[in-house]
Amino acid sequence: MEEIKPASKKIKPGKPIQTKHNKGKHTKIQTLDVVLLVILTIFGLAIIIPFIYVIAISFSTQQEYLKSSLLLFPKEVTFENYKALFQDGRIWTGYRTTLLFVLLGVPLNLFLTTSMAYGLSRPDYPFKRFFIYFVVITMLFSGGIVPMYLLMRDLQLINTVWSVVFNYGINTFYLIIMMNFFRTLPLEIMESAKIDGAGEWRIMFNIVLPISMPIMATMTLFYAVDRWNEWFHAMIFIRDNNLVALQLALRSIVIDSQISQQMNASNLATDAKFSEGMKMAAVMVTMLPIMCVFPFLQKYFVKGMTVGAIK
Amino acid sequence: MEKTIQIKVKENNSITSQIWKSREIYLLLLPGVIWFLIFAYIPMYGLSLAFKSYQASLGIFGSPWIGLDNFVYVFRDPAFMESVWKTLWINAGRIAFQFPVPIILALLLNEVRLGRFKRTLQTIYTFPHFLSWVIVASVMINILSTQGLVNGIIRLLGFETINFLGSTDTFLPLLYITENWKSSGWFMIIYMAAITGIDTEQYESAQLDGATRLQQMWYITLPGIKSTIVVMLILTVGNLMNMGFDQIFNISNAATARAGEILDMYIYRITFQSAADFSFSSAVSLFRSIVNFALLLFADRVCKWLGSDGLFPSPRKKVRG
Repeated sequence: MEEIKPASKKIKPGKPIQTKHNKGKHTKIQTLDVVLLVILTIFGLAIIIPFIYVIAISFSTQQEYLKSSLLLFPKEVTFENYKALFQDGRIWTGYRTTLLFVLLGVPLNLFLTTSMAYGLSRPDYPFKRFFIYFVVITMLFSGGIVPMYLLMRDLQLINTVWSVVFNYGINTFYLIIMMNFFRTLPLEIMESAKIDGAGEWRIMFNIVLPISMPIMATMTLFYAVDRWNEWFHAMIFIRDNNLVALQLALRSIVIDSQISQQMNASNLATDAKFSEGMKMAAVMVTMLPIMCVFPFLQKYFVKGMTVGAIK
Repeated sequence: MEKTIQIKVKENNSITSQIWKSREIYLLLLPGVIWFLIFAYIPMYGLSLAFKSYQASLGIFGSPWIGLDNFVYVFRDPAFMESVWKTLWINAGRIAFQFPVPIILALLLNEVRLGRFKRTLQTIYTFPHFLSWVIVASVMINILSTQGLVNGIIRLLGFETINFLGSTDTFLPLLYITENWKSSGWFMIIYMAAITGIDTEQYESAQLDGATRLQQMWYITLPGIKSTIVVMLILTVGNLMNMGFDQIFNISNAATARAGEILDMYIYRITFQSAADFSFSSAVSLFRSIVNFALLLFADRVCKWLGSDGLFPSPRKKVRG
């Protein structure tokens, strides 16, 4: 339940005992350390280098890219790729649609998740067990995409952003994390507010939420990232070219053109349109917001995961 | 939750007054319950199309029942059975080649004693999890192409260029490696969290007994996170039929499409790419859900039989995959 860092510090005080007691093993420990560092660093580099490579290509000319395949630092930096990308226009459409998903979707997510998590975290009331099962069942079964598509069609939400917004309302996993967090709050605060005559909604907004800011921030970021990465449902529900989601705009620039490249060489016209540099610029533009929120995200998710997984 | 029952038994006749007292709590639950009903339970009911002949004019509710006919058609389609086996085969490989990686990473990273280094690595490892498969596939398609970074290194070392993306031989390793690249760091966090829950006294007494760090890792840390590993394993097995759609959809191409036609790809293809028969697709989806649930129960039973807690005593332990 505690944060990871203090607990791992707890382990550390034990470690010096080892060196005090077995000074002879000191060298052996150092070999282990070196092996660990090498293995873990290689894995870390395997993750980082592709990103550096992507950044490098996005800033280099097509000629330089074709000349050297180990391009990690371009000799002449160019912004042409980004310029061409923004002129293409698809990225703008993508940004607009995806921002709509985030701006309309995240508040809905937070409202639904918080109110339900708080309700479920209240101590005993009739049918509480029923509501818990009501939620858990949705983790075990889901209708899948086909009935969902038909439902959206019947609700006439196809080709609107609302289909994607409503499709993802509550993430059951996040709901459970929040519920477990609310359970840890001292009951006395809510009880005294209740004696003063405050209703549950007012207690939630005025008392519980202000002391739950860290978990609210975590949930906001989690939902925002999920919304940003939305592509599958956007692909199924929205066929309108003016409402293409950002991820799908990227997909059409990078992946579809790669497929056409493999399918027939005669399709060179489309390939020339999207140079590797431009494709990687599209990747960068799509990835950048995630990169920006990641440091904040990282600060909280370890705690969130621990609360959800262990409690 | 046990308390609820006791109270109910004690004051059974006042249940209506209890409900009235808790009305504000029900009001809190209401928006979420409505959402679940419309966007989770109605689609669940929508799977009843599997036993109906869907007619657009009559809708899900009005279409006539036709019994098991759809399933007869489904099982007659050779592509369906092929995709079922392919799903099980590919995803069984995931249990072998993906499932242990985060555990090993957590065990190793836990032994790192330089705090800053540990934190930096943890940050790097978890980052790709937050990117969509569209982005990850775009990056991978670039670095693994014949012109890309990996083949550049291979050529530099004097070997022949390998066509990672367009060949069925490299398709499975491609799936496992890219998935590990993307999310093993994230699952590592779950195990790291479990490791912090281990009682530190165990380590201290082991050190007094002269246990090496490897021995401590093997005899204390690993058993200490066993219950987490079991829960994760059950969830993975219970997810065997729907893993990997996002990945395969984005990373496969015309050359590897057949090698990667898992059940979800099959459902997508028959529903949204050819002439849609929604009843047929629903039958396939229902079949998939049933197999998934059976696998989950099966994995849970096996783990209980082997002496672990399993999943169902504490549904709160669940972690999304």
